[in-house]
Amino acid sequence: MELWINLTVNGLATGMLIFLLASGLTLIFGLMSVLNFAHGGLFAWGAYAGVWFYTVTNSFTLALIGAILTGAVLGFITEKLIITPVYGDHVQQILITLGFMIVLSEMLKVVWGPNQIAAKVPPALSGSWEFGDVLIIKYRLFIIIIGFLVFGIFQYILKRTKIGLIVRAGVLNKEMVQALGINIKRVFLLVFMTGAALAAFGGALMAPYSGVIYAEMGMDFAILAFIVVVIGGMGSFPGSLLAAILVGLAGSYMAYYVPDLSLAVNMIIMVIVLIFRPQGLFQVKG
Amino acid sequence: MIAKMRGNYLLLTIIIIALALFPFVSDSRTLTILLTQIFIFAILAMSYDVLLGYTGIVSFGHAMFFGIGAYATAIILKKTEPTMLSFFLSIIVGMLLAGIVSFIIGLLTLRLQSHFFAMFTLAVSGLFLVAAEKSRTLTQGNDGFTFRAPEFFADRTTFYLFVLACLLIIFLLLRLFVHSPFGSVLIAVKENETRSAALGYKAIYYKVMSSVVAGVVASLAGSLYVVSLRFVNTSVMGIDITLNALLMTIIGGVGTLVGPILGAAIIQLAQHNLSNLAKTYPIFERWIIFFGIIYILAVIFFPKGVVGTIREKLGRKS
Repeated sequence: MELWINLTVNGLATGMLIFLLASGLTLIFGLMSVLNFAHGGLFAWGAYAGVWFYTVTNSFTLALIGAILTGAVLGFITEKLIITPVYGDHVQQILITLGFMIVLSEMLKVVWGPNQIAAKVPPALSGSWEFGDVLIIKYRLFIIIIGFLVFGIFQYILKRTKIGLIVRAGVLNKEMVQALGINIKRVFLLVFMTGAALAAFGGALMAPYSGVIYAEMGMDFAILAFIVVVIGGMGSFPGSLLAAILVGLAGSYMAYYVPDLSLAVNMIIMVIVLIFRPQGLFQVKG
Repeated sequence: MIAKMRGNYLLLTIIIIALALFPFVSDSRTLTILLTQIFIFAILAMSYDVLLGYTGIVSFGHAMFFGIGAYATAIILKKTEPTMLSFFLSIIVGMLLAGIVSFIIGLLTLRLQSHFFAMFTLAVSGLFLVAAEKSRTLTQGNDGFTFRAPEFFADRTTFYLFVLACLLIIFLLLRLFVHSPFGSVLIAVKENETRSAALGYKAIYYKVMSSVVAGVVASLAGSLYVVSLRFVNTSVMGIDITLNALLMTIIGGVGTLVGPILGAAIIQLAQHNLSNLAKTYPIFERWIIFFGIIYILAVIFFPKGVVGTIREKLGRKS
């Protein structure tokens, strides 16, 4: 029983981190059909920024805010410098964002050195709670709560506010939204920056969870996020949450029972989804 | 036109004779080894160009096929007597495996949009990398293992000439391939898939075949690569290999087979010189940054690459 709960908590926590990365990716794709291969780089920058702000300010809240701001600024730069010049050409977008990914992760090594950096869990969140026989690590529960909170907030914005309406309409038919006099490119810039900020936020949460950060972590997580986006359906926000939880849980259980297959299982899920439902499990509907 | 073609062949013959004579004129070992590396990567980059330039497919998993060839050769040479026979056998095994893998992956995913395919290949090649790391009994993981190359290749010059011959043969074969009616359909599929489908060409068939050709050639490059090092580890499956092929193709010129060869020379020479510079200026230790920046600028401002731009200036097509 205890084992099952622990595996589930681990899986959910990892799933939430992947969700933070994948949600931005999926909205960016849904809105402008841009697949941002540099998204993992923003995640890694968030992790480094979080750790750096934490050592400087000694406050975890400030560290998270610092990471979010870093992500938003980098997102602005990415959109203006990298995405805009090749707008509309898919092959060039894929090539250029991958190139920017390399620049981002190499820049990390220039600023903070090529070695791994240790990241500490803030004292308030370290340790664990005991429920009878079950031991739950506080920080993991914290990540899960934050993940659902972020989902709730964004779901509210998407469903209940005007900007959310524009974004959802844009995912369905951006020409029509443009015809109604809305500057879709400005909306896209906003969505891109938000997605980048979410990725960086995920990175900052990830750092104390895994204990060490390294420049290549972005690529490792980005691959998981891509799998999630494919499974969840491009452009679907709830789809990316469910797919992220699925991938997180599958990874966590497999890592315990069949460690060699933990990455393979996600690949297998993706292959099955791609063959039978190439549009993903959750298609965006009007 | 015919005179121009003759001029091209004349130029090609002169360059090849010059390269073939090079090791007898210069006794610089480093330069011979560097040129050998350039030839090997030129083969890899050309195979990538078949995908990117002629079929319009972006694959992020090309290192997988390079790695398959590399491991096939390294493992067979390690387990058997390192003779030329087992070397050729290992090349064939690698090519077969790469062909099968690329066929399956292509069949499963080439129907998808370009984004999905790029993502998918990235994930699958990641999986291969993990598999290579996990099966330590066979690959010894990231530590890798050394093995003995066939006696025939003991002399660097012999190996240099052998690789040069491979490069020439592959270049001519791929040239035949892309200029064949089959190659014309590939270009048609790249330019407008719907229209070529309307003309009765099954795009998926042509795409899968193109990815099989690219995979098989990449596997040959992998085989040659490990023999040149006499060592293999998981880095042959790494994303860096794919990125190198991508960079060489783009900088040299997409959709021209000469371009990737030139690109391979430019990138390898630059890498060699920049890593030398790093000894004096530490900033050059992160030379990949400069590559990333040059690459981004190339994609935005210079999408046709060196050869493509020159051809455009001369005002003629391929």
